[in-house]
Amino acid sequence: MKIGFPRALFYYDYFPFWAGFFHSLDIKVVTSPPTHRQIMEQGLKKVSDDTCLPLKILAGHIQALDKVDAIFLPRMVSVEADTYNCPKFLGIPESLFTAVPAGIPVLTVTLNWRKGRRQILKDLQVFGLQLGKGKADIQKAFTLGQEWQKQYQDSSGAGWDFEETIREIEKVTKGLTKPQMSTLTPSIPKVQDTTDRLRIALVGHSYLTHEAYGSQNLLGRLRKKAEVDLVQHVKQEEVDTNLLGLRKKLFWNHAKQIFGAGNKFVRDPKIDGVIYLSCFGCGTDSMVQELLARYAREQHKPYMMITLDEHSGEAGLVTRLEAFIDMVERRKVHEGYVSAYGECLDRDSNAL
Amino acid sequence: MLGEDKYFLGVDVGSVSTNIVLLRPDNTLKEALYLRTQGRPMQTIQEGIKLLRSKIGNSAEIMGVGTTGSARQLAATLLGADVVKNEITAHAVAASRVNPEVQTILEIGGQDSKIIILRDGVAADFAMNTVCAAGTGSFLDQQAARLGIPIEEFGPLALQAKHPVQIAGRCSVFAESDMIHKQQLGHSLSDILAGLCQAMVRNYLNNVGKNKDIRGPIFFQGGVAANPGIRKAFEVELGQPVIVPEHYDVMGALGAAYLAQEKVGMQVGMRSKFRGLHLGETQFEAKSFECSGCANHCEVVEIQQDGISLARWGDRCGKWSIASSTSVDNDSVEHKVKQLGA
Repeated sequence: MKIGFPRALFYYDYFPFWAGFFHSLDIKVVTSPPTHRQIMEQGLKKVSDDTCLPLKILAGHIQALDKVDAIFLPRMVSVEADTYNCPKFLGIPESLFTAVPAGIPVLTVTLNWRKGRRQILKDLQVFGLQLGKGKADIQKAFTLGQEWQKQYQDSSGAGWDFEETIREIEKVTKGLTKPQMSTLTPSIPKVQDTTDRLRIALVGHSYLTHEAYGSQNLLGRLRKKAEVDLVQHVKQEEVDTNLLGLRKKLFWNHAKQIFGAGNKFVRDPKIDGVIYLSCFGCGTDSMVQELLARYAREQHKPYMMITLDEHSGEAGLVTRLEAFIDMVERRKVHEGYVSAYGECLDRDSNAL
Repeated sequence: MLGEDKYFLGVDVGSVSTNIVLLRPDNTLKEALYLRTQGRPMQTIQEGIKLLRSKIGNSAEIMGVGTTGSARQLAATLLGADVVKNEITAHAVAASRVNPEVQTILEIGGQDSKIIILRDGVAADFAMNTVCAAGTGSFLDQQAARLGIPIEEFGPLALQAKHPVQIAGRCSVFAESDMIHKQQLGHSLSDILAGLCQAMVRNYLNNVGKNKDIRGPIFFQGGVAANPGIRKAFEVELGQPVIVPEHYDVMGALGAAYLAQEKVGMQVGMRSKFRGLHLGETQFEAKSFECSGCANHCEVVEIQQDGISLARWGDRCGKWSIASSTSVDNDSVEHKVKQLGA
């Protein structure tokens, strides 16, 4: 059996779990190719126009999966106790039925950590019946899935590049190699504290920051000009510490991670600037972005928000990015300048 | 006299206007041109250069060139620029040179509007409008045309208003239908225009100026600063005087010229990459084609001068981009040229 797994939305955070799960059950997983123009266009046509960009991209990826026996669209209600995923995750798969090509069945299962591990196992076992797998198989698959997920999360904490890690996992799902991520050395070393280059933190949902096509390769462009820190690079303990100051707990899982990491970046003197990547129609970002912007202002940290939508012209993004980098650079030079005379003699020569 | 006709050239090619300035080494302005782009940036730049040549003659020397605006890359390719900078940096540099005390810049252009917060002459924060073009010059142009009044009379008429009407400024489509309702009710033209100015300013401050610490002195620049109605609406809303600098309409180009001066001036013996004042007479052509190398089908644009390719862009993977020597990413040029040759 071959299951199609779209390379969008939940793929970016939870693929390792599902890859491990299906690997253990001896089910082949096929992922759609990285987003390209056609995928985007197909996605835009097939879903409600007032949903968000990542969901539209997901709809495109569903259609890009061919030669599969079924498409897997889990309903990821919650991945951690006391939190929820964004409501749009909860509407999957029903909200995307219009995008599924005729004749291909959809496989789905509800994953809700709010109800605890026992309930999840139960739900997975019911799901297993559809796949023709017994209780013991599911139990084993669940354990392996969790193992892979943990390895994946640990590796990003250690500075692993997302693309590298996911490539390793995909190789395994295709039956090419055995999982041995822990023995490999990270190819992109963790950001050095002594670097001369600018250090910019890019915060936002993983399915936007790592979505090269949708974000017009923002991450790649940024890496050309600066060292980039991401939400995934921040250790869980640090995220948790930076959430303590809030008067009320955030109950969206992604929002918690983004805010905790973002707050750390805002307060970290080694970070020269913070960019928040969001998209139109994102409900959780509308709260978290505003909150983080206020913290950034208090700390006088250069901060910029970029809102993505379906546009393909890159001029707007490039202008904002260049202007932000310029601002951070010139500000750094200016702040580092201490005149022996107590004030600038020639402030005009260093204008801006 | 020696050094008499040496200039720095600043070019700002925006969606609506193309501005060209010539700056003397002593920071005074020799020439400022404000041309309408009219969707043909290449021809407009060439016209501008022709015009300049007729004014300053062939003996003039261009010591450095800076380009900015949404077509800065195109302008840089055509002219051979020493500096290619985004509009925000250019505007900020120009304003802080004109008046080092400036703390806030309000800039409203043809297709975008921005706010720049300066502290001690350094940009501390900025914001640009999102994809919506409501509250920009194009919208005012459009409404003036609909009402049948020249855009130049828009502001003076708005100033005559006695009781500005309330107009929904959130979205230009809503604003337009609201204006039509008000007209049909019989409100005077000047009251409606003043209401529109207020709505636009409110929209600007709520969107672009959201959460920004707006302190004086405030500069108001960009094409829309020509409209005294908008300026007054800003002053009322902010409760502070708003200064429109002398060269408000070419501040971006002025900033680009200053940046060129900064760059060329800093390196001793550095020669400008300027390709010469004869550019007005040569033949430039832009061609575009769709690459079918992968599923992205990028639309690649190629700029040619007399049949010779100057630059290509628009591809996501970079296999077509022969960036000119003025390109922002010139670190990867050699690599790309090699790839193409292989």
